[in-house]
Amino acid sequence: MAASGDSTIDSLLQRYLALLDEYTQLRTSLNTLQSGLYQNLARANFSAERGIRKYGQDYYDERMQAMRRVEATTNTKGAFPTFAVIRHEEEGSSFTPPPPPAPAEPAAGEDGSDEKTDSRSTESSTSEKHGKDRGGGNNNDGKPRQQPHKTKRPSSDPLRWFGFLTPMPLRLAQGQAIQAVEELIPRLASVSAEMADVEVEVRRARKKRIKANAAEEKKRRQQMEHMQTRAQEPLRGIE
Amino acid sequence: MASQADYKDRQFLAVIGDEDSVTGLLLAGIGHVTAAPDSQKNFLVVDNKTDNAAIEAAFERFTTQRKDIGIVLINQHVAERIRHRVDTYTAAFPAVLEIPSKDHPYDPEKDSVLRRVRRLFGE
Repeated sequence: MAASGDSTIDSLLQRYLALLDEYTQLRTSLNTLQSGLYQNLARANFSAERGIRKYGQDYYDERMQAMRRVEATTNTKGAFPTFAVIRHEEEGSSFTPPPPPAPAEPAAGEDGSDEKTDSRSTESSTSEKHGKDRGGGNNNDGKPRQQPHKTKRPSSDPLRWFGFLTPMPLRLAQGQAIQAVEELIPRLASVSAEMADVEVEVRRARKKRIKANAAEEKKRRQQMEHMQTRAQEPLRGIE
Repeated sequence: MASQADYKDRQFLAVIGDEDSVTGLLLAGIGHVTAAPDSQKNFLVVDNKTDNAAIEAAFERFTTQRKDIGIVLINQHVAERIRHRVDTYTAAFPAVLEIPSKDHPYDPEKDSVLRRVRRLFGE
């Protein structure tokens, strides 16, 4: 009984050590990647264009939307989660042309002067939603845009917060950050969660072994007592 | 055990860290600001002026209040400032990971996962 408990704990610890090994390897990779990222950020700041104090929070887009998102799943037992970070496609980001406007229905907007064509209203709503550097959809020239499918929404790439001609080190830093976020961080989170699960199993198995040992000890003591009483019985008969 | 509904909506990463750490991770496209009027950010830039209460409040917000965060990343030196809070956090969702920063490289002695390992082996 205790031997089976020992082997269970051994196999759990073996699994735990494999996970620990993976965790430390991932940690080393993340450290290397992060230090490269910080170096590249420092290089980018060093070679920053005039007017840019530092590539930092002053330039963050206040309406940023996550391009990379977490996808968590649990295994069949539901014991521990597995994480993945996947690129999230924004709604309508495929640049499909809008459906042809219905001529009978005027667009329901608050500004009546801007509703001569549906294509313009589509364009302005897109601009309102997705871009501040497109001039806020102000088409003061009065020319309706005939080909809305050719217009492109501003890129949601965070690099664009810092301008259009970003230095190479900043782009390298972005590549490293993407690698960290897509590959290392979700794996680290998953391994850590699995380790926590194995820890619980090891503690449970240890408790079980302690109980089994105690029960075995009790049984052995009872047997000893029983044997002692049986050994004393013939002596009593002689007396 | 986490219910299915609990983790399905947890789609964002959150970051608590110094400016370079946050900038680096936001470059990867994890930054998200919810719709107005809440306009809640999923990151907190910590500097010398940020007090521990603000860090703890952000940690609390990302781990307990918000139900859309799947992974919380926190600089190890920032986690040290609210160590009691980080070490007592045991929930499966969101996962909390300590990451190195520019001025404070990763120290395995302070890593909460490796602390758990030592505890398991009775040290």
